[in-house]
Amino acid sequence: MAIVETKGLTKVYGSGETAVVALDHVDLTLDAGEFVAVMGPSGCGKSTLLNLIGGLDAPTSGTVVIDGREISTLSDDEMTRLRRERIGFVFQFFNLIPVLDASENAALPLVLNGTGAAEARRKAEEWLGRVGLGDRLRARPDQLSGGQQQRVAIARALVSEPALVLADEPTGNLDSKSSEEIASLLRQVSAEWGRAVLMVTHDPRIAAHADRIVFMRDGRVVDDTKIADAASARVAMERVGLL
Amino acid sequence: MSIALRLAWRYLSGRKLRTALTTLAIVFGVMLIFGLNGVLPGMRDAMQRMMLAAIGEVDLTVTSASSAPFPAEVAQRVAEVRGVGAATPVARRTVAMPAKPDYKVTSLVVVGIDPATAYAVRPMPVADGRLLEERDDAPDAAPAAIASRATAEKMGVKVGDAIVLPSASGTTEVTLVGTIDSPAPPGSDELYVPLSLAQEMFALGDRITDVDAVFEATADRTAVERAVKDRLGDAYTIGGIATESTLAAGFDAAAAIFNVLGFFALAMGGFIILNTFRTVVAERRHDIGMLRATGASRRTILGLFLTESLLQGAIGTGLGLLAGWGFAVFVSGVLRGYIQGLMRMEDFGVVFEPQAWVLAVGLGMGVTVLAAVVPARAAARITPLDALRPQIGDVYEKAATRRAWAGLALIVVGAALLFVGSTGAMGLGCVLILVGMSLGAATAVKPITDATSRAIEAVYRSEGGVARANLQRNPGRAGATASAVMISIALVVMIFGMTSSVLGGYGEYAKRTTGTDFLLIPNNLIVSGGAVGAGPELAQRIRATDGIAAVATLRYAPAVVQGMTVQVIGIDPDEYGRIASFRWTEGSSDADLERLNRPGTVIANGNFRGQTGLGKGDTFTMMTPAGKRTFTIVGGGNDYINAKLPTVYVSQDALAELWGVTTDIMVLANAKEGADRAAVRAALEGIARDYPSFALYDSAEWQKVTDNLFAQLRATYTTLALMLAIPSLLALLNTLAIGVLARTREIGMLRAVGATRRQVKRMVVGESLLLASVGVAAGLVAGVPLSVFVVKAITMLGLEFPYVFPWSGMAAAVAIGLAFAGLAAWYPARQAAKLDVIRALRYE
Amino acid sequence: MSVRAAILGLLAQRPRHGYELHEAFEALVGGRAVWDLKPAQVYTTLQRLEEAGLVVRTAVRRVGGPDQHVFALTEAGRAELDRWYAEGVHSSHQRDEVFLKIVLALGDEAADAEAVIRAQRATLYRDLHELTTHRSEAAHLTQAMLLDKAIMHIEADLRWLEMADARLHEMRRHAVPVLPERRRGRPRAEAGDR
Ligand SMILES: Nc1ncnc2c1ncn2[C@@H]1O[C@H](COP(=O)(O)OP(=O)(O)OP(=O)(O)O)[C@@H](O)[C@H]1O
Ligand SMILES: [Mg+2]
Repeated sequence: MAIVETKGLTKVYGSGETAVVALDHVDLTLDAGEFVAVMGPSGCGKSTLLNLIGGLDAPTSGTVVIDGREISTLSDDEMTRLRRERIGFVFQFFNLIPVLDASENAALPLVLNGTGAAEARRKAEEWLGRVGLGDRLRARPDQLSGGQQQRVAIARALVSEPALVLADEPTGNLDSKSSEEIASLLRQVSAEWGRAVLMVTHDPRIAAHADRIVFMRDGRVVDDTKIADAASARVAMERVGLL
Repeated sequence: MSIALRLAWRYLSGRKLRTALTTLAIVFGVMLIFGLNGVLPGMRDAMQRMMLAAIGEVDLTVTSASSAPFPAEVAQRVAEVRGVGAATPVARRTVAMPAKPDYKVTSLVVVGIDPATAYAVRPMPVADGRLLEERDDAPDAAPAAIASRATAEKMGVKVGDAIVLPSASGTTEVTLVGTIDSPAPPGSDELYVPLSLAQEMFALGDRITDVDAVFEATADRTAVERAVKDRLGDAYTIGGIATESTLAAGFDAAAAIFNVLGFFALAMGGFIILNTFRTVVAERRHDIGMLRATGASRRTILGLFLTESLLQGAIGTGLGLLAGWGFAVFVSGVLRGYIQGLMRMEDFGVVFEPQAWVLAVGLGMGVTVLAAVVPARAAARITPLDALRPQIGDVYEKAATRRAWAGLALIVVGAALLFVGSTGAMGLGCVLILVGMSLGAATAVKPITDATSRAIEAVYRSEGGVARANLQRNPGRAGATASAVMISIALVVMIFGMTSSVLGGYGEYAKRTTGTDFLLIPNNLIVSGGAVGAGPELAQRIRATDGIAAVATLRYAPAVVQGMTVQVIGIDPDEYGRIASFRWTEGSSDADLERLNRPGTVIANGNFRGQTGLGKGDTFTMMTPAGKRTFTIVGGGNDYINAKLPTVYVSQDALAELWGVTTDIMVLANAKEGADRAAVRAALEGIARDYPSFALYDSAEWQKVTDNLFAQLRATYTTLALMLAIPSLLALLNTLAIGVLARTREIGMLRAVGATRRQVKRMVVGESLLLASVGVAAGLVAGVPLSVFVVKAITMLGLEFPYVFPWSGMAAAVAIGLAFAGLAAWYPARQAAKLDVIRALRYE
Repeated sequence: MSVRAAILGLLAQRPRHGYELHEAFEALVGGRAVWDLKPAQVYTTLQRLEEAGLVVRTAVRRVGGPDQHVFALTEAGRAELDRWYAEGVHSSHQRDEVFLKIVLALGDEAADAEAVIRAQRATLYRDLHELTTHRSEAAHLTQAMLLDKAIMHIEADLRWLEMADARLHEMRRHAVPVLPERRRGRPRAEAGDR
C-alpha cells in the first residue's frame, strides 16, 4: 500500500532569470514499511523533495498524496495535524528544544496533540528505551552526544506512531560508528515497526541499509533501484567467500 | 497548556540577565503607577477626614455656599424647621500655632460654640474642670476655653493654664477651664471657646461659619434635610464642604499626571520588551521550526510566546507591585514630613484602592503582552522550513519601510496639528509626532548613526566602524531602543521647558507683586481659608512706623462662581497700585486698577479666567454672603501668591460690604528713601511679635524664600525627569547586553585575530553612544513641541507665562543621554572584554 | 572473458584488423605496463569469436603484400556485446571491466554509458546492502573483518563510480583515445580501409 505518492512534483525557486528548478517532475511512490534512501550530489533537490513530502513547503506544480490525502488541499492547520499524527521528522541539526529534557522532547508531538502529560511521558520513555536511551531520560540536549540527540529525535519521530518518517541527513554530523547505529535504528523502524522511512544521505554505507535507493540529479530522479534482493545476496556472499 | 508554561519558564530562567532586565523594565513602570496611586488616596482620605472631623458627628451641618461667614440668626432658622431637634451656631477657624510658646501642635481648630445650645447638639462629657457656660459668653467675661483631654495632654496644658492663640488683634490669651472626654477627632485638635470670643478673635462680627444640628429621633432625615434647604435657599450648603470638591479635583489631576508619567515609563518598558522578544524569536527560529515540523500549529507558537510574555508580565507586575508598595511608603513618608510642616494633618498611610490595582496590573500585563504580540506573530509566521536554514537578516526588516512611511505621515500630520491653534490639537500632534518617530526610528538609525559615528571614528577609527556596523546590523532593535531613549529625552526637555517657563514666570510675578521692601504674610499660606487675618490695627501700626513710606494690604474671602470656589482678594486700589502691582495680562494695565473703585467690578487672575472662560469686559454672578451679585471683569492680572488658585480682586470696600471682611491676610510695605532699614526692620519686628501667625520678611529674605522654593521645585522636577529617564537606561543596557550575548562568537573571533580587550570595550561603548545619539536627536526634536504644549496647557488653566525655550533642558537631555550611554555600556562592555576567547568561539 | 568482450567492443566502433585491435586495446588501457595483452591472444580470441559467429572476416588485398584480414561485428556479436554491457560486474574483479564498459560505451553510439553506470551502481549497492545486513548479523569477528574489507572495497568502487558519473560529460567530449595516424612502410591505399 502506498503511503506516499508524488506525481510530477516540481519546485522552482525564484523566477525569471534567477529561477532555480530544484525539483523537476518527480514521480515517487513509497510503500508502507519501506526504507528508501535518497542520494545524489549536493543541490540536486533531495531536501526539497523531503520538505515537499513533509508538507513543510508547497510545490510549484505536481501533487503529493500521503495516506490517500492530497496535501495541497489541506489548510495549514490540517497539514499541521497530519504532520503531528502521521509524519515524523528527523533533521541533521536543531532537532531538540534545548530547554526540555530527553523525555519531554520525545513527548512533544503527543503533548501538542493534547495527550495527557503522564501518558505522553510514558510513551516517550518507552520509545526512548527502544532507541537505547532508557538511562538518559532526564538529560538535557546539551548533556547528550550528537548520536544520542539523534536517537531522541528518532524517538520523537516515532512516538506518535506515524506512518512515515522523514530523515534529512540524520547522520550528517556524526562519526561513522554513531552513523551506523542511527542507520540500523532507522532500518529497525521500517523492518520491525513497519514505518515507511525516507532518508536523505550522502554516505553509501548508510544508504546501503535501505531497501531501495533513489538517485537524483538536477532535480530529477535518475535511478530508482531496489537493493534488498535475495538473489544478489547469494552472489555477494560468494564474493567474500562466506557461502 | 502546561507545555507552554513549562517552556516559557525554562526559556525565561535560561537567560537570567535578559529576563532580569526585561522584568526591571516592567517593574519600574508598574512601581510608578502603583506607588503613586497608593500615596494619593491616603492623602486625600486624610484631608477628607480632617475636614469631616471639623464637622463633627452631627446630623446636619450648614455652611454658606460661598464658604464665607454668615449671620448667626441662621441657626435660629434651622432650629425652627420641623424635625430638627436642636441647632447651634458655630464659628470655626483653623489657626497656625506659633513656634513660641511651643504647644506641640502646628495648627489648632478654634471652635466658637454657644454654651446655651451647643451641648444639645454635641454632648460633651466633662473629664476635668467644667464645661463652657453661658456666663463665659458674656461680653466682659474672662476668655475661657475647653479641649478634649487628648488635645490638652498633647499640648501640655492643664485646667487653669493659659493658652496664647493667634487672632485678628494679634494674640488672644484664653484660660483652659475644663477638659472633655470626647475622643479627639482624628487629624485635628480642637479648642472650644465661647462663640462671642471666637467672633472677636477672628473679626467675624456677629457672624458664624457653620450651623450644627441634630434631628429628632423619629424624623425622616432626608425630608428634614430638604426642609432645611428649602428654608435657607441656595445661598447655603447642607452637609458638605465646598472646598472639598476642588481639593478632590486637585488630587484627581495629580493622579492623572502621575498615571500619564507612569504610562510613559511603561511605554518605554514596552520597547524594551519588544526588543527582548524579537531577539528571543530570532534566537529560537530553529526551535520554532522544529516545533512546527513536529506538529505545532501557528496558534500554538503564538500561544507559546504570549504565554511567555504573560509569565514575564506577571513576574514583572508582581515585583512592580511590591516595589510600588515600597515606593509609596517612601514617598508618603517624605511628603508627610513636608506637608505636616505646612498644615496640621492626620498621619496618612498608604492606601491601595481597587483602581490602583486594576490600573497597575492591567497596564503592567497589558503593555508586556502588547509589546510581545508583534514578535509573537512574527514567530507564528515562521515556517518549519525557514527554521532549518541559517538565518539571513532580520525578519522584521521587510515591514520597516512601510512603517517608516506611516511614521513620516504621522509626523507630518502631527506637525500640522501643532499649528492648528487649539491646545488639544497640539497635544494630539505631540503624541502623533512621538508615535511617528518611533515607527520611523528603525529607518532613521542608519543615516543618523552614519553622521554621529564620524565623531567616534575620528578618534577610534576601527572600533567606531565596528560599533556602527554592529548597530546598523539590527535596525529594528536599535530603532526600538532609540524610541525608548527618545521618549525619555523628550520628557526631560518637556519637564525642563516647563520648569524654566513656569518658574521664570513666577519669578516675574514675585518681583512685580511682592517686590516691596517688607512683607508680612501668614505662616501657612496654603490654607488661606483657615488663616487668621489681622485687624486693621496691624496695618495702621505699620503705617505709623518711622521710615515707612507706603503700605498696602490684601484681604481674603471665599466665594462661589459657576459652582466653583474662588478666592476673593480685597485690595485698596490706590494703595496697592502705589507700591506693588499685578503682572498684567495683555490688554490690561495699571489704569484698570482704578476702576476697582467702582462697585461691581473685579480684576480676575489668569486661573480664574481660564477656569471660567471669562475675559475682560465679561460679567458674571458670584455667590456672596449677601446673596448673588453681578460683577464685571475690568482687567486681567496675576499676583504671585494667588496665581495658583482662581482669584478675583475687589476693592476692600466691596469686601467689607458684601463679605463683612475687614481683616488683612497680607501686608506689604515700602520704606522711605534714605530711611535706616535696620531700624525700620527692628520696629516692624516689634509689631510682628504681637501677631504670631504672621511672618515678616524684607525683600532680600523674601527673595531667598522664593529662590529656595524654586530651587526645591526645580530639584523635584529634575528628580522626576531623571526617574523618567531610567527606563531609557534600561533599554540601552538591555539592547547592549543582548547584542554582546548574540555576538559572543564574533567577539571571540575578533579577540582571536588580535583585537585588544580595550578595543572590544570601546566597540560596545561606541555602539551605546551611537544608539543614544539616535534617541537623543529624536528626543530633542520631539521634546520642543511637547514643552510648548505643556506650557500652553498650563496657560490654559490660567497660569500665564511666557514660553522659555528649553535650552537648559536640551543641554541636560544631551548630558543625560551621554551619561546613560556610558553607564549602560559599562557592564556589557566589561562582559565583552572579559570573554574567554576559546569559550567564546565555542559558544552556541 | 574481458579480452573477448573488449575485442567485440572495439569492433563495434569500426571494423579493424588484428594488429590494429591490439594497438587500440593498448591505447585504451594506457600501455603494456598496465595491462599486458599478447597479440597472439588477440588472434586466438578473434578466431574463437569467428567460430562462434560473433565476428566476420573479410580479406583485403594489399598492393605488394599478403592479404590482410579485417574483422567486423555480426548481429550476434552485437547482441553479445549488449548483453555484456547490460551485465553487472561483481566487486572482486570488476575494476577493469567496469572501466572498460564505461569508456567503450562512451564511444559507442548504440550504448548508453549512463545506463552502464546505473546498472553497476545498483549492483554495487545490492552487494553493499547484503554485506551490511550480514555484517550487522556477523557472529565472528573474522567474518566481520572479511565483510568490512569487502564493504570498504565497494565503498571505494562506489566513490569511483560517482566520480566517473560526474566526469562522464567531460569524458564524452574527449571521446575515446584513438591511434595517432602513423605511417609505417609504404603508403596505404586510401580507399581500402573503410
Ligand atoms: N529557498 C531557496 N531559494 C532558492 N533556491 C533554493 C532554496 N532552497 C533550495 N534552493 C536551491 O534548490 C536546489 C536544491 O536544493 P536542496 O536543498 O534540495 O539540495 P540538496 O539535494 O538537499 O543538497 P544537499 O545535499 O547539499 O543538502 C539547490 O540548487 C538550491 O540552491
Ligand atoms: Mg539537503
